[in-house]
Amino acid sequence: MKKALAVAMVLVMVLGMVGCGSTDASTTDATVTTDTTNTTDTTATTAETDTTAADTTSVSTDPVTITYCNFNASGANEAVLASMYEKFHEQYPNITVEIETIGYSDYFTQMQTRVAGGTAPDCYELNIENFAAYASNGVLAEISGVDTSGINQTALKAFNVDGVQYGIPGCFSNVVLVYNKDLFDQAGIAYPTNDWTWDDAQTAAEAIRALGDDIYGVYAPITYNEFFKVAAQYGGSLLNADKTEFTVNSPENITAATMMVERVTKSNVQPTTAQMGSMGDWDLFESGKLGMIATGIWSFSTFADACKFNWDIAVEPGGTQKATHFFSNAYVVNVDSKNKEAATTWINWLASSADAANLRIAAGWDLPAITDQTVLNTYLELTPPDNREAVFESLNYLVVPPIIKDYSMMSDIITEKLSLAATGSITAEEALNQAQEELTSTITLK
Amino acid sequence: MIKNKAKSVLFHIVALAVGMIAMIPFFWMVSTSFKSQGALMTLPIQWIPSAPTLEAYTRVFSMFPFARAIFNSLFIAVSYTLITILASSMAAFVFAKMQIPFANGLFKVYLASMMIPTQITLIPLFVVMNKIGLINTYGSVIFPSLFRAFAVFMLVQTMKTIPNDFLEAARIDGANPFQIYRKIMMPMCAPTIATLCVTTFMDSWNDYLWPLVMLSNKNFMTLPLALNQLNGQYATQYNVLMAGSLLSMLPIIIVYIFAQRYFKSGLMAGGIKG
Amino acid sequence: MTKKKKAIMETLHAFPFLLPSVIGLFIFCLIPLVISVFLSMTDWNGLEKLTSSGFFAKHFIGLENYIKILSGKEFYQVLLNTCYFIVLYIPLMLAASIGIAMLLNSPRKGIGLYRILYYIPVLTSWVAGALIWRWVLSPQYGIMNNILAMFHITGPNWLQDAKWAMPAIVMASVWKDMGFFGLILLSGLQGISKSYYEAAKVDGAGKWKQFSSITLPLLTPTLFFVLVVALINSFQLFPQVMIMTDGGPNGATQVMVERIYNYGFRYFKMGYAAAFSWLLFIIIFALTSLQLKMQKGWVHYD
Repeated sequence: MKKALAVAMVLVMVLGMVGCGSTDASTTDATVTTDTTNTTDTTATTAETDTTAADTTSVSTDPVTITYCNFNASGANEAVLASMYEKFHEQYPNITVEIETIGYSDYFTQMQTRVAGGTAPDCYELNIENFAAYASNGVLAEISGVDTSGINQTALKAFNVDGVQYGIPGCFSNVVLVYNKDLFDQAGIAYPTNDWTWDDAQTAAEAIRALGDDIYGVYAPITYNEFFKVAAQYGGSLLNADKTEFTVNSPENITAATMMVERVTKSNVQPTTAQMGSMGDWDLFESGKLGMIATGIWSFSTFADACKFNWDIAVEPGGTQKATHFFSNAYVVNVDSKNKEAATTWINWLASSADAANLRIAAGWDLPAITDQTVLNTYLELTPPDNREAVFESLNYLVVPPIIKDYSMMSDIITEKLSLAATGSITAEEALNQAQEELTSTITLK
Repeated sequence: MIKNKAKSVLFHIVALAVGMIAMIPFFWMVSTSFKSQGALMTLPIQWIPSAPTLEAYTRVFSMFPFARAIFNSLFIAVSYTLITILASSMAAFVFAKMQIPFANGLFKVYLASMMIPTQITLIPLFVVMNKIGLINTYGSVIFPSLFRAFAVFMLVQTMKTIPNDFLEAARIDGANPFQIYRKIMMPMCAPTIATLCVTTFMDSWNDYLWPLVMLSNKNFMTLPLALNQLNGQYATQYNVLMAGSLLSMLPIIIVYIFAQRYFKSGLMAGGIKG
Repeated sequence: MTKKKKAIMETLHAFPFLLPSVIGLFIFCLIPLVISVFLSMTDWNGLEKLTSSGFFAKHFIGLENYIKILSGKEFYQVLLNTCYFIVLYIPLMLAASIGIAMLLNSPRKGIGLYRILYYIPVLTSWVAGALIWRWVLSPQYGIMNNILAMFHITGPNWLQDAKWAMPAIVMASVWKDMGFFGLILLSGLQGISKSYYEAAKVDGAGKWKQFSSITLPLLTPTLFFVLVVALINSFQLFPQVMIMTDGGPNGATQVMVERIYNYGFRYFKMGYAAAFSWLLFIIIFALTSLQLKMQKGWVHYD
């Protein structure tokens, strides 16, 4: 009878499974996530949308349902995204957006599978590494027919590949210098200003390092993401102007890399990986044992909770010039979406409307990539840190990462060589030479 | 008497020592789940939180439809396990005890199926599922349980050790294959089946990538998927994640305890009587 | 009954028993596998829709992927790393799991609690496990080096040292898997009838003799299973490498599936990754066939 019971259960399950299947494949396609505004396609509405897309009223009034998939809201901000959608739906009652939020770590495996399998959402979010690949491989729709003038133009340019706009910057962040005021007071030195160079920072770091064996002066990760920006601070770049050649081991780049590496290997104002134990850089700063850290503005809310000392920020020090990092996630539209116009409307609204921006800032989520200063001013009013203007001043020196098709491969190779240099087994110059060699042999640029 | 007592004490010392080593990460998980957001990753490790709080647990319950996720996970894992046991034991019976042509070759195919990394078959399998129309249905995560080479292999090994005399005796008594399967093979494989119940349930319960890809609809979200939403682009809320993971381990432990009943030393139940 | 008739009857009897499993085999295994064979002969990037028209015509490149892989250095280096893992992992894991199975096979009071304790690592996710192992192996604060210091040995940098990163992964993997294989071996031990032991005791056999002439031989079918599965799994080492070392330092822990995943899902060269997988398959298949052939020499089914 036990077996009979098992068999019966199986039958019930089978019936349940077949019955419970809700949507079929085609509906899933239609409910694609909302991506940013532009869906250009050969549909009839495209001709109309060129002028009407700029209006905030819906272009077509047929009810349509789209799907939008993102990872940025995961962790804490799903409710904020939901309230944004409510506002959107008030203004565009005929567009229904089904929002999916998925954790960051497996988001891209999942998204790639869906794109390759043909069930990708109407619009979705991508980070820079993946944007490069998706845009170069023809799975994104061109974004046009919407008014993007309210969006920060540098950010917008980052998602323009070969003259075609493939994504809209959804939010953006940059990197600033966060410093521990108490440690600076202890060492008796002046706080960093927005005009500091790395030489100034080095002096301060050495003074703080002298405060104790387990106290360090500065931390800036020695990775590709940091390197391309620091290189720009010394006038160098990873590729030549038209992206046909790698220039990784140029003299300016070598100066930049040497500076980064010697902080660890020579003056040890920055801890080696062994000295870090298994603590992360934020953990080190939060424990009060680090004077300065170059990290993203997304750290503010975490530091506000966890730091028991006084801290503030400044624009990141420069070399021969200032250059600051630009991180952004892109909203993109699926090239196979059947509702490109609605999808484009949603993502453009999400990225640039005043309503969405205000909600975003009020929740302390991240910074919308817009130019409307009145909205951005509300960001300035939140503390800590006090010197929030530094965030906006940093925007004046933005450097955009070089988007190429094999972006991830390039960043992995460079990070690998730089970490070797950081252990002291090779010099920064050797590391860059090796990187240049490996890059030219494994990656073909246009 | 004293010798027994001493042996007992020695046993417990050794077992406990090894057990502690096995459990260190678990202790860390428990400790972290009672910490507040700020105090998470200090070195040296704080085993006992200085300010223990239940905030991680309250967040877990409030963050997503926990009950729904548990129901989905339970429904899927139980169905998956039952189907695996049934389908795999039936197939194992053939491989272990029946002489048919191609059996050897087919068994090799079963083994071979375990040798291809799932990362490569992910997209082709997705395309196949899409064509059949199983995407976003419970079936997409349950039907694959029909084919589990691991379970078949394990059962074959156990079934091969059952002496053929029992089957011969039953055949002479006029039993058909299904009765032999039910009354001899299955009972004599009880420890193996109990083990398989635990491992299969655990695999299905903890499976993350496959449900992620197959079940994008919120209503079908399973517990690991719900927990992984805590994974942000820049920071992960470890205390909430650990609290959720600990809660997620409970059902598997319950299955394990339940399966223990079948771990009897020296099992020959039902075999002799036929 | 004639032999032929008997064979036909056997086959007819076998059919319904095999059917559910084989249906699953076809739909969920063989079809995707065959597709992936074809994909390994394309330059597919893993993004473009598989179902787009003219797909194979556009992307077919024959055996180019295979040639590229086999003529480069990376494949062999990665294979070496994987073998390094296997050579360290398998003996350690076998010893640990046999030990645990024997420990847990006693009918003592409270044995149930221990059985759960040892299984807990299997249940924990690698996210938690990796975090804690990174701490255990931390050069200055971790307990591993602190314990070694008690014996006046300076522990290495473990995860940051190219020589010691793989042994570190081995330790973490043994910790996680010993409960799993221990449980399987336990069920194998439980299947050995007590009557054998009783007869041996009557004959005056000591503990060791009982172990070597009863336990070990009768455990061989389960041992064989564990060995085959452990080997297949170790060739496919993946999550701990991704989370603990990400293939570093300097490629010391780059293993087969880590490369396959990166090529397929990070560098967008899925055709290449598929070819890589099939080469891996050939290796595993050859080794397993060898094991199957050799089982006659040491595995006792009766």
